[in-house]
Amino acid sequence: MYKLCKTLTNQEFVIRLSDNASIPFDPDNTDYQAYLRWLEEGNTPEPAEENQ
Amino acid sequence: MALTQVDQGLLGTNAQYTGFKNRIINGAMVIDQRNAGASITIADSSFAVDRFIYVASQASKFTAGQNLNSITAPAGFTNYLGFQTLSSVSIGAGDYFVVSQKIEGFNSADLNWGTANAQTVTLSFRVYSSLTGTFGGSLRNSAANYSYPFSYSIPVANTWTTISITIAGPTSGTWIAATNGVGVSVNFSLGVGSTYNGTAGAWASANNLSATGATSVVGTGSATFYITGVQLEKGSTATSFDYRPYGTELQLCQRYFQTWGGTTGNEYAPWSGLGYNSTTAEGCFTFICPMRSAPSLTQVGNWVFNDVASDNAAGTLGIGTTGLQTTQMRSSGATGITQYRPYTLRASSTASRIQLSAEL
Repeated sequence: MYKLCKTLTNQEFVIRLSDNASIPFDPDNTDYQAYLRWLEEGNTPEPAEENQ
Repeated sequence: MALTQVDQGLLGTNAQYTGFKNRIINGAMVIDQRNAGASITIADSSFAVDRFIYVASQASKFTAGQNLNSITAPAGFTNYLGFQTLSSVSIGAGDYFVVSQKIEGFNSADLNWGTANAQTVTLSFRVYSSLTGTFGGSLRNSAANYSYPFSYSIPVANTWTTISITIAGPTSGTWIAATNGVGVSVNFSLGVGSTYNGTAGAWASANNLSATGATSVVGTGSATFYITGVQLEKGSTATSFDYRPYGTELQLCQRYFQTWGGTTGNEYAPWSGLGYNSTTAEGCFTFICPMRSAPSLTQVGNWVFNDVASDNAAGTLGIGTTGLQTTQMRSSGATGITQYRPYTLRASSTASRIQLSAEL
């Protein structure tokens, strides 16, 4: 399970809820690659709370 | 005295003067940033020492750790990576229990694999098990569709055995160039089902993790498997292990993983920032060295923002704009923060950690 987030400057990233890891939207990051595979399986992240 | 002749012994295959010949990082298992030598019930896609990832199709089947069970390391080594079966598994076709190192493309591209100029490599390691027989592993490409299963023998239980396997480089298959992706995966099987097994000693267009007929460590309760001195080098001969200074080996690992805290309980992290409002602060976190990719950040335990006069609970730390050397780090749920006041970031206990991962 994941949750989308935005910073004060509206930079987007995603939180892996199992360990609260913050994952950048970098295609070379293997955690982000795992998130993309999770999306491809039809899953949907929790929505972002603005300006966290 | 003028140097007129180089000792041929220094140029021979047994010379110990050639640094960085080993494409494996932390092959002597000396660096364990995550666990500091503690044993763990190892989970899928996790690390018992740096750079060696464990992947498994079933959870909670091994305890693992640096110097697990405190056996005597082989001569010339002080550390090893150990596994012990927690509960035995009857391996199904699609099961896999493997420890691997993924070598970055920047460190393997010169092997010219997938071309007519493919270079021969030699894999060597020391291994020790409570079991005897034929064991297996493989080399595999990034796309997991081209691989070379290998097998080796452990003839005597509970004794270190030195293994050397020479592998002609593949002239086929797709291998990535000098990039930060996976160049070559080196896999050691602890038990692999038939779906991921292949004939030892031959390259194949398949996702093989081990060799057909190899012993399954996970198939025996309380079985042990220890390994160290892992070296992959260019050429057809296993040369002496490439010992590198501890600081050098640590920095090689820190391209993939960095951690702060977990020591004195009041360790500072390399962050400086300002209060944004009463519950949020934001600033720049600087890495120890450039990382392979923009890293993920995991916070363990509590941290505080310090303004010299007081500590203020930092709440939840997260990333923003992230590069290879810095990240914008911000908090949410902090307490007592004053807008525009400068803060430093400090651990609040020995359990506090900030971990960055850019693993392959």
